[in-house]
Amino acid sequence: MPGPLALVIWYIGIVLEITFVVCSIARKSFFRYLFLNAYFLLELGSSAGRYFFLSRFGQASAEYTYAYFYTDALLTLALYVALISLYARVFGELRLNNFVRYAAVLLLLATALFSYAVVAQSEQRLATGFAYELSQNLYFVGLVLTYILWGAVLKLRETRTRLVQFILALGLYFSGYAASYALVNLASKYSVVSFIGPALGCLLPLMWTVTMLRHSEESRLEPARLLAVAR
Amino acid sequence: MSRKLAALALVLAILVSSMGLKTVLSGGHAGSAVMIANGPEPLPKPPLK
Repeated sequence: MPGPLALVIWYIGIVLEITFVVCSIARKSFFRYLFLNAYFLLELGSSAGRYFFLSRFGQASAEYTYAYFYTDALLTLALYVALISLYARVFGELRLNNFVRYAAVLLLLATALFSYAVVAQSEQRLATGFAYELSQNLYFVGLVLTYILWGAVLKLRETRTRLVQFILALGLYFSGYAASYALVNLASKYSVVSFIGPALGCLLPLMWTVTMLRHSEESRLEPARLLAVAR
Repeated sequence: MSRKLAALALVLAILVSSMGLKTVLSGGHAGSAVMIANGPEPLPKPPLK
């Protein structure tokens, strides 16, 4: 079993995910943000599965590794769908939903094809390598997509506070992971970097829960004011 | 037709920029022994490493 700090981070993450789903139901927004809730519900399910393998086989076991990366690929797909659902909400008023869906499916296929091309030469287990590579690549695709969406929010002067906060939180989450990706490369010998990933995993449910609690669906703001232009 | 081609161009641009970003952040050796993963669970060792 992992150390107490890793377990505390894990439990905090689970509590925050449950809190987001409960808040969504209490605020009558569960179906409005169905894909965000579905992501956290799937994450809770995978947490249970991962705990089973971790407690039974240990953190260094191949069983836990495979369980972790197969569930992670599913979760990344769910997060991608959640991100596309935010796209659909932003571009819904422009009646570009069909274009968004078409582009999203095309992008997913292209990423899967690219990931397969990367691992196809591997002599080891292809399915596991593919799940791992697809998951990693989709994160970076998600990062770029989130920043494009933020640009669209500014351009379209989107005023729905919840939607804007959800997108900003997602941007921070992806950016944090990208920064940790670089940090682990630079300082992988320090054990503290192994806690950064799980701690960042708590960030998204925390920010989305705060957004759900603090803002109602009717809340409005002007994101253009966030851009301070010195003249 | 032009809308479909625009979507294709957009998709390729996003994919290229994403993979470029990944390569830059991994210090030029993408697929190194680091990972990004969902959730707060303890990380196992990456496969194929």
